[in-house]
Amino acid sequence: MELVSEFLKKVSFCQDLNESARSKLAELLISKKISAGAIIFREFDESDCLYIVRSGRIIISKHVQHQVDIVLTRFHPGDCFGEMGLFDTSPRSASAQTETDSVLLRLDRKAFQQIFSDEPEIAARICYRLVTVFIERLRATNDQAREAIRWGLEATGFSVAPEHAPLGRRST
Amino acid sequence: MADPAKLELLNRSTDAGGFEVIRIDSLRAYSAYKPSRLPQSDWEVTAQPKSADGTRQFVLRNLRQDSYVLLNSREYFLWNYLDGRHSLEEIGRAFHLAFGAFDYLLIRQLLTKLYGCGLLESKRLLDFQLNRGTLPDRRQGSGLRRNLLRWRAMSLRVPNADRVCSLIYERGGFLLFHPFTFWLCLAAALCALVLALPFGQNASSFAYFLKTRPWLFSGVMVASLVSASILHVLVHALACKAHGRRVRELGFFLLQGIVPTFYADVTDIFMSSRRARITVDMAGPMVEVVLGSVAILAAQAASAGLAQALLLGIGLALWESALLNLYPFNFLEMDGYNILADLTAMPMLRQQALALIPRLYEQGLNFKRLARAEWLQLAYLALCLISVFIYVILHIDGLRALIRL
Repeated sequence: MELVSEFLKKVSFCQDLNESARSKLAELLISKKISAGAIIFREFDESDCLYIVRSGRIIISKHVQHQVDIVLTRFHPGDCFGEMGLFDTSPRSASAQTETDSVLLRLDRKAFQQIFSDEPEIAARICYRLVTVFIERLRATNDQAREAIRWGLEATGFSVAPEHAPLGRRST
Repeated sequence: MADPAKLELLNRSTDAGGFEVIRIDSLRAYSAYKPSRLPQSDWEVTAQPKSADGTRQFVLRNLRQDSYVLLNSREYFLWNYLDGRHSLEEIGRAFHLAFGAFDYLLIRQLLTKLYGCGLLESKRLLDFQLNRGTLPDRRQGSGLRRNLLRWRAMSLRVPNADRVCSLIYERGGFLLFHPFTFWLCLAAALCALVLALPFGQNASSFAYFLKTRPWLFSGVMVASLVSASILHVLVHALACKAHGRRVRELGFFLLQGIVPTFYADVTDIFMSSRRARITVDMAGPMVEVVLGSVAILAAQAASAGLAQALLLGIGLALWESALLNLYPFNFLEMDGYNILADLTAMPMLRQQALALIPRLYEQGLNFKRLARAEWLQLAYLALCLISVFIYVILHIDGLRALIRL
């Protein structure tokens, strides 16, 4: 398997980092192998780290009812998830589970804070890229909300278009 | 059309302890959807007489919202299955067995109609439907168009119209619908007609008197027509009460966005018989007939002069108004049109006729494929066009005078 610092070239929020910055970041990452079907974290769990998918496929879902979640998105190698955990102490907003055997790289909040204090320039570059990640995800969420509403309307035959004239009689 | 929307669900309840992902597209969910109508206590249905093509239509009333919807026989068949126990797939199968074919578009249109009328059990969707009216409508477009729409929707309403009409009906209004009243009115109209004929010989002297006081004549004429119009709609409403049905509204609006008109909303009469509907339609113009007859009888009793000319003028104007009201072929939904729609059992005749033209054009003007009901719609349109043309020709002098003014 290629070196972690080399792999980080493919990670969106590391695009602006040079080789030495990537090496420094790679030292802070913890690699973890997870088998298919395992839960990485659950919705409402404590949130304190970000994950980078090195291999495999991750499903992000949100609980709907009983044992059923709605699938929000999938992450593939080079993608990162759980980034809110780097900045925010609120619980996880969704659950993450592996769809296939996967290898993840974990960046703890403490480690990230260490970058901020020791290497503010690297931290700034990472933050700038993370903002673009947030923006993309926000756009994707908007599209997803629209699709969910379209699904509901199509599945129930509900239409907001006034396609018929109501029956009425105004005697004049 | 866009691809069906897809939804992915993650189901954790597997024996192995993991999960499975299920993809459901909206079409699959749609066929499994079990629409449920309101409880039976919240709606009523009335079968209409058979129409020209031998089919029967049904009027469904939502008692919660006081809204009405017209269903054809196929839609009514589907309505009976919307009990929350049958999926659309099962309903489609039952329809196929009964009619030999099924098109999902039919049920989609029906569901749209029923949602629009609030007849399906789905609170959230209904809330959305109800709130839709408060959202800004992008289709309204420019300010001018928005103002035109506002202008067309302008109306004044009598509050508690049904209660007001019930009170008037109970306190003497019912006498108007006694058979004796009808025969009395008929006798007065016949007498007036016979007595009005000799007046024709003195038409020039009446015109002379009226020309001497044009403002008085115009003022009296407008006041008479407006008063008769108010009584006209009130009698419509009372006739509706005479058949035990509800008067939804009583008020004033712009007919087709142009003609200032008083109106009584008697949609509830659809839940009664065809005879009741025709009685309600006839009751209004009878006011002009009776008042016109009384004016002509009074003119007969008056001595020659301005008063006699005024009374005769009012009488003739009211009769003309009654005739215009009863004439069905003028593109307006007046009493005559309503009678025609009831006689042909086509309550949406005008709308269907107007919708037929673009459809015919799209089909390459293929008249061979037209059903009997569609021929009736075409005949209605043709007679309307001819009538309007003749009306304009007959009144061309008046129009010229107006342009000169």
